[in-house]
Amino acid sequence: MAMASAMDLSPPTFFLSGTSSSSSSLRRLSSISVSSFRRHSNRRLHVLCQATAGTQPQSGLSDSGSKLAARSGQDRLLKVPISKIRNFSIIAHIDHGKSTLADKLLQVTGTVQNRDMKEQFLDNMDLERERGITIKLQAARMRYVYEDTPYCLNLIDTPGHVDFSYEVSRSLAACEGALLVVDASQGVEAQTLANVYLALENNLEIIPVVNKIDLPGAEPEQVIREIEEVIGLDCSKAILCSAKEGIGITEILDAIVQRIPPPRDTAEKPLRALIFDSYYDPYRGVIVYFRVIDGKVKKGDKIFFMASGKDYFADEIGVLSPNQIQVDELYAGEVGYISASIRSVADARVGDTITTYSRKAESSLPGYEEATPMVFCGLFPVDADQFPDLRDALEKLQLNDAALKFEPETSSAMGFGFRCGFLGLLHMEIVQERLEREYNLNLITTAPSVVYRVNTVNGDTTMCSNPSLLPQPGQRKSVEEPYVKIELLTPKDYIGALMELAQDRRGEFKEMKYIAENRASLIYELPLAEMVGDFFDQLKSRTKGYASMEYSVIGYRESDLIKLDILINAELVEPLSTIVHRDKAYSVGRALTQKLKELIPRQMFKVPIQACIGSKVIASEALSAIRKDVLAKCYGGDISRKKKLLKKQAAGKKRMKAIGRVDVPQEAFMAVLKLEREVL
Amino acid sequence: MMLKTTISPVFSSFRGKPKTSRLIFQACKAVLEDAPPGARRNASTNLTTLHQGPPTSAYVHLPFCRKRCHYCDFPILALGSSSSNLYEERKEDDPRITNYVNLLVREINATRTGFDTKPNLETVFFGGGTPSLVPPKLVSLVLETLSLNFGLSPDAEISMEMDPGTFGAQKLKELMELGVNRVSLGVQAFQDELLKACGRAHGVSQVYEAIEFLKECGVENWSMDLISSLPHQTLEMWEESLRLAIESQPNHVSVYDLQVEQGTKFGNVYTPGQSPLPSETQSAEFYKTASSMLRGAGYEHYEVSSYSKDGFKCKHNLIYWKNKPFYAFGLGSASYVGGLRFSRPRKLKEYTNYVTDLEKGAANWCGNGDVDLKDVATDILMLSFRTSKGLQLEEFGEAFGREVVNSICKVYEPYVESGHIVCLDDMRREVMSDEFKSLVANDEVKIEDHVRYLRLRDPDGFLLSNELISLAFGVVSP
Repeated sequence: MAMASAMDLSPPTFFLSGTSSSSSSLRRLSSISVSSFRRHSNRRLHVLCQATAGTQPQSGLSDSGSKLAARSGQDRLLKVPISKIRNFSIIAHIDHGKSTLADKLLQVTGTVQNRDMKEQFLDNMDLERERGITIKLQAARMRYVYEDTPYCLNLIDTPGHVDFSYEVSRSLAACEGALLVVDASQGVEAQTLANVYLALENNLEIIPVVNKIDLPGAEPEQVIREIEEVIGLDCSKAILCSAKEGIGITEILDAIVQRIPPPRDTAEKPLRALIFDSYYDPYRGVIVYFRVIDGKVKKGDKIFFMASGKDYFADEIGVLSPNQIQVDELYAGEVGYISASIRSVADARVGDTITTYSRKAESSLPGYEEATPMVFCGLFPVDADQFPDLRDALEKLQLNDAALKFEPETSSAMGFGFRCGFLGLLHMEIVQERLEREYNLNLITTAPSVVYRVNTVNGDTTMCSNPSLLPQPGQRKSVEEPYVKIELLTPKDYIGALMELAQDRRGEFKEMKYIAENRASLIYELPLAEMVGDFFDQLKSRTKGYASMEYSVIGYRESDLIKLDILINAELVEPLSTIVHRDKAYSVGRALTQKLKELIPRQMFKVPIQACIGSKVIASEALSAIRKDVLAKCYGGDISRKKKLLKKQAAGKKRMKAIGRVDVPQEAFMAVLKLEREVL
Repeated sequence: MMLKTTISPVFSSFRGKPKTSRLIFQACKAVLEDAPPGARRNASTNLTTLHQGPPTSAYVHLPFCRKRCHYCDFPILALGSSSSNLYEERKEDDPRITNYVNLLVREINATRTGFDTKPNLETVFFGGGTPSLVPPKLVSLVLETLSLNFGLSPDAEISMEMDPGTFGAQKLKELMELGVNRVSLGVQAFQDELLKACGRAHGVSQVYEAIEFLKECGVENWSMDLISSLPHQTLEMWEESLRLAIESQPNHVSVYDLQVEQGTKFGNVYTPGQSPLPSETQSAEFYKTASSMLRGAGYEHYEVSSYSKDGFKCKHNLIYWKNKPFYAFGLGSASYVGGLRFSRPRKLKEYTNYVTDLEKGAANWCGNGDVDLKDVATDILMLSFRTSKGLQLEEFGEAFGREVVNSICKVYEPYVESGHIVCLDDMRREVMSDEFKSLVANDEVKIEDHVRYLRLRDPDGFLLSNELISLAFGVVSP
């Protein structure tokens, strides 16, 4: 009986899982969002399932085909020759059905039982599910029998957001092929395009798959034409499928075997394994996911990380299927994990090359990059007492997220906090949300800013991400800001709206072409600072959600940038200072002063609120003085109510920050910072 | 911040240990008994002990009204205005009034204070409601009861709130004969449309008649109540009211700024600062106009909402402003005895039960709990700053610590500069803001030696009294 033999080979294939949670098995927020709590409970569950699996009757009602598949699924730890390994990933836009397809592949190959799938759907990271995106990736080893020959298929998932394009490129580098999944009713999106280009750069064999053909609005012919025109892929062998309905799944599996080339057989060379993911487990240290490119790695080997220069003993190696299953050895072409009591993900960064300490490879694998934060913001606890907690939380997150950078910052208005650097806006939001949700911190976030390059008169060049640290105008020769190239894909009706948006954001028009009768691609170059605000939201709202975008940083350019200061009652409010382009200073200044006027309660005196460039006032509002605040009523000596009111009023003052003589409520800061994000 | 934290030890060391002159009532006993000798202070001069002696004032609540005014949230009992002859005694006494007064008398009798000394009452205040609706013989009963229980000084100030249209010369004369010697006349406005709009039961003609009755009966000590910021009130109307008030020559005027309270008719219909209520700016203008017109007519603006001719301040209200103790009797009334503020039930049924419990010894007549010196300090701050006399710094510093005085001065420095707060020396001459600033900056100097009083400036400081007082509250309870 298939089940019985499976039991002998490995633990039951499924357990409730945070580690390998996803929609399901594949998506995991490994380095970004698995809390220690989830991992902990997860391990307990694992044990529980092992204990009960043997006694639980399996549902034996499935047809013989799925029994066969299930058996081969259970055999997936068995070694196959390198020529029978296929490593692939799935490239798809958000909502185009990548996760559903991945789930179906796991089911059909018997890697995960039908019975277990539903449970996995339920157990999913909140953040990921709410945002409907894959932030980080994971892998799954499947066994597929094609023409009576067993094959080992490794699916390596990719995150679907530009903030993580480096991670995407590393997981693509771990594959020989990719499925390009395009929604039959939506067509090609900008982000998909970017990832396809990445895949092509890595010489991946690409199998076009048109998904959701069962939907009423599906236009597979149109979409196939689009793929051919835009990407230039031969779509004669494109597969039409509906992952949801299980249509075309076998064809996809067959195509993977037939069309994706096997890894090169370099098992005898010195070990070179590419890290495509890693995450921090509080009990075992960092767990590293890798693809062996050359050579082999055995349990107990002393391994060496070529970029970080750290060495560790491989306490445990195994495969992901999709949960971690220990094995003794992995050789060229295989995908697996290592647990080696690694202290921080910074020691085993994505893109680093693992080699054997005693027989080091001559050169590391190409493509490793240090994480460079592109977007910065200040994070301050609303309650000053939470500062140590915030520091602890950031340190913990950093264990798991090598791209997160932070340093202490002090602000006159908000006290002690941190200036943090992120890969991009999504990364920033995820970190903020995790801090608030998982660490119960109440945070104030300053407007995100980028890193400016300041050339000073004495010939030095300094990097500056904090407006309050920008050198004085007299000391600056020029200021440069990072520029990005953005590509927008949009139905043609919205071209005008998007051009307007890009021009508003100081965009420089580069190119426009029609990728299909009805869809166009627009290319602009614009300052990253213009994108860190609500650019993406605007893009979506101006095109009713139809446009998509992709960006890449193209370097620094000199700009006419100035520091815009906010003065309340002639006192500089440092945390509200921003660096803006001179042309925008007036409108930003006006918006900020107006908002502040709305939010600051009136004081006993008239309060001017000004926006200034240097000493020049460019926008000004005035908060009129309170005229009357008196309880002139007699209560027959009953002062209790009067007193209660006064106490409340006194307590209200405590929640405010004094800017000189003016009491500014915390909410005013927050609202203005939010506004800065919108108007900048 | 530094200063604030240095204050708390001062309070904690005094907390619950004021010197006592053997107060016997249960409430304060536990706290006061074991006060160490070191904490003892001279009861006659110290603000922290001012409230400990037996009160010499009593507030008596007579809650009857013909109907509820639209702005009123006091505990009142509306009788209806069916009576055709409002000026004279009703043929038969309204049993509701008789029953209430009997209950009130029972409450007074059941108040067994246990003070060693029994000084006579120096002030009695009949507030309401509309006390003038109560038949004189019932008022007499109350006064007799007070006299029997506490003693009544022969020259006690006995005030009564009266509304136009609820008394005639005869009734007034009777009340005067009983000892009522101060009348507070609830005029509120001199425009019929405004009176009507705020639900008053009288018109302007009744106001004039009432003033005539007062003159006829030779009531010298009388006060007129006016309300500013009524719906539809214009500056012209307000000026007219003030002018007519001055022409009627009361020796005292109370000017109340309309407070729109939740649960009142106005609270349901109007939003402060929005039409038909005057804007905040207009409302401030009304306040300033009252201050300048009344002061111009020879009245002293001695408290946020009180004006008097020389020698005619309301002695009873001064007890409040000085944070001195006072009894209170009747529905919903609030007393201050032994440092505790205590409000009686606001509903008649509960009040009735309370009186029964009191008689059985099952209820406390002055409240329970410990005296928190922080509360005493904030009470003194809010009450002192309502008066033109202001806060006596020396006295306050002795009671609550010099650090508190320093901190208050520091917090107030900008408002001395802006003119909202006035500093006065021992001769009540103004200390200029520059000098005050240097005094505050100099740690060597004892500010109280140079600045004896801080007061809110009339009218700018008074107008912002809540803001300014709450700043001082922040110093006391950081």
